Amino acid sequence: MKKAREKMKTDTNQEVVRLEDVYKIYITGNEEVHALDGVSMTVQKGEFVAIMGPSGSGKSTLLNMIGCLDKPTKGRVFINGVDTSTLTDNELTRLRREAIGFVFQHYNLIPTLTALENVELPMIFRGLNDDERKRRAMELLRIVGLEREMNRKPNELSGGQQQRVGIARALANDPEILLCDEPTGNLDTKSGEIVMEILSKLNRERGVTLIVVTHDPAVSGFARRTVRIRDGRIIEG
Amino acid sequence: MYLELAKRNLIRTKMRSILAIIGIVIGVMAISSIGIFGEGLKNTVLENFRDVANEVIITPSYSGGYTTIEKTSLSKLEKVPYLESIIPVKSESALIQYKDRKTYVRIYGMERRSVEELFEIERGSSKLSGTCVVGSTLAERLNLRVGSKITIEGELFRVSAILKEEGARFDINPDNTLILSEKDYDDLFKTEGYSMILVKLENLDDIEQFKETVEKSINSRETKVRVFEMKTIIERITEAFNQINLFLIAIAGVSLLVAGVSILNIMLMSTMERTKEIGVMRAVGASRQTIMRIFLYEALLLGLIGSIMGGILSLLGGYFIMIAILQSAKYLFTISSLISILQGVSFGVVTAVISGFYPAFKASKLEPIDALRYE
Ligand SMILES: Nc1ncnc2c1ncn2[C@@H]1O[C@H](COP(=O)(O)OP(=O)(O)OP(=O)(O)O)[C@@H](O)[C@H]1O
Ligand SMILES: [Mg+2]
Repeated sequence: MKKAREKMKTDTNQEVVRLEDVYKIYITGNEEVHALDGVSMTVQKGEFVAIMGPSGSGKSTLLNMIGCLDKPTKGRVFINGVDTSTLTDNELTRLRREAIGFVFQHYNLIPTLTALENVELPMIFRGLNDDERKRRAMELLRIVGLEREMNRKPNELSGGQQQRVGIARALANDPEILLCDEPTGNLDTKSGEIVMEILSKLNRERGVTLIVVTHDPAVSGFARRTVRIRDGRIIEG
Repeated sequence: MYLELAKRNLIRTKMRSILAIIGIVIGVMAISSIGIFGEGLKNTVLENFRDVANEVIITPSYSGGYTTIEKTSLSKLEKVPYLESIIPVKSESALIQYKDRKTYVRIYGMERRSVEELFEIERGSSKLSGTCVVGSTLAERLNLRVGSKITIEGELFRVSAILKEEGARFDINPDNTLILSEKDYDDLFKTEGYSMILVKLENLDDIEQFKETVEKSINSRETKVRVFEMKTIIERITEAFNQINLFLIAIAGVSLLVAGVSILNIMLMSTMERTKEIGVMRAVGASRQTIMRIFLYEALLLGLIGSIMGGILSLLGGYFIMIAILQSAKYLFTISSLISILQGVSFGVVTAVISGFYPAFKASKLEPIDALRYE
């Protein structure tokens, strides 16, 4: 951990995310929807950025673009300096697996797997061996305070607990960037606060770059920078 | 772990999985039990021929204008060194009478030791001298016993023995015939040549050489005799049965095809229902190949479970068909049954995997973002 912080210091000005004039245009019927309308932004290593804006403004689209889940209609997305449009599908998969962690509004845990197994999943995809996987998954569950619930299935956990499992899963392969789309959107204030505490602690102590989409001013309060977006354009930040 | 994931997904939609498995069980069972039965049927038929594979039948060349085999031809054959035995047979159709009943039967003339070599005696002794040996059907028909006196061409012969029933046989079927010694036969019919010579080879591999010898020594100027190998006949029968078998298995294969379609169907349903899950897995680092693998494992599991169960049950199925049609299940536990089962099982597994391929491919082709958005 100490090492990570040192690394963070030396790389303070390293860009982990860079968007250059990114457009995402959907054509529905004979209408063009500009979900993203020429977005350019950069995120430095170790930053905590909140993305805010009204519903339908393109927040999720932007986040998915950064997470290499979606491809821009126009413009370029760089992750750690690599132009993602030059990568093959397998290389993008690998990037998502090893450099990026996702936390979803609806948790999106795999219902057939226990909490522990859900956390193991990204490590299985990475090909980690059984022992190491289990050990690490348990440690992550301990960090989010769920070591006692590790053998429960998602439907045996509360929303807040499921989201914490989701965070542990996002951390499984020790990513540099954590992307959270309304991580507290489905939670009550108390559970939302616990989740935000965990996330900001990860940012502070481990130097994880955090990009959080939210409607909630309380959530953006944790962030060091807030990017405001409207109609697919950045209007502030 | 992927296998474990596949297993849990199958358990999640338990009823559906069970139905798919039942389909495969039925398909594999149909294929394997028909295979087992077919092999059993073939074996039952071939069992009559098994110990005569090294037999060669020499007949006159009727198309060459010969109705008998000359004595000189026989003596030439007798010089061939690698023969186990050589049995010359004369035969003629004649009217016989017992008490007040008359009937036409085929009469064979051969030596006593030939009778002993070719046939089994049910009752009496095979002594042939002024006496005759009769087949079981003929004995039954005329109500003959050992000691009965039959008139053949005006001469009186006592029955010295009655033969065991033989059933299907290619060389000589004695059931409805009467056998005299060669001398008595010659006295009655005054024939010169033989109507058939049965040759047994010491070694099956000598058959080509033997045929060549016959061509050179007997048929050199004109075709006097023809050579029929039992081996060829047996091969023909085997081939015919194999074809029938293949045809039956193909029909049974239709049920497996149906099972395959049902797997295709339920797996397509699963991919639809699990679209979002696929998106999540792609988001946390599953490659297209991994998604494909997870779905193929599901198909493989369905196929394996169904096929193995079907394979085991096909022993039962084979048993019942054999009992019903062949009245005997003695060919149930044979290597060929095992092969039939393995064949059915592998067909089942392959069908399942092929059926799973398209849904798996479809799942793997989903774009992560579309899959994640799916509700
Ligand atoms: N697949 C699609 N086809 C057509 N239009 C789409 C598609 N996906 C998103 N959009 C449109 O793009 C715009 C941005 O959507 P996005 O999901 O990014 O909004 P958002 O800011 O995340 O909203 P919310 O706060 O409600 O989650 C919206 O107008 C939406 O209707
Ligand atoms: Mg959104």
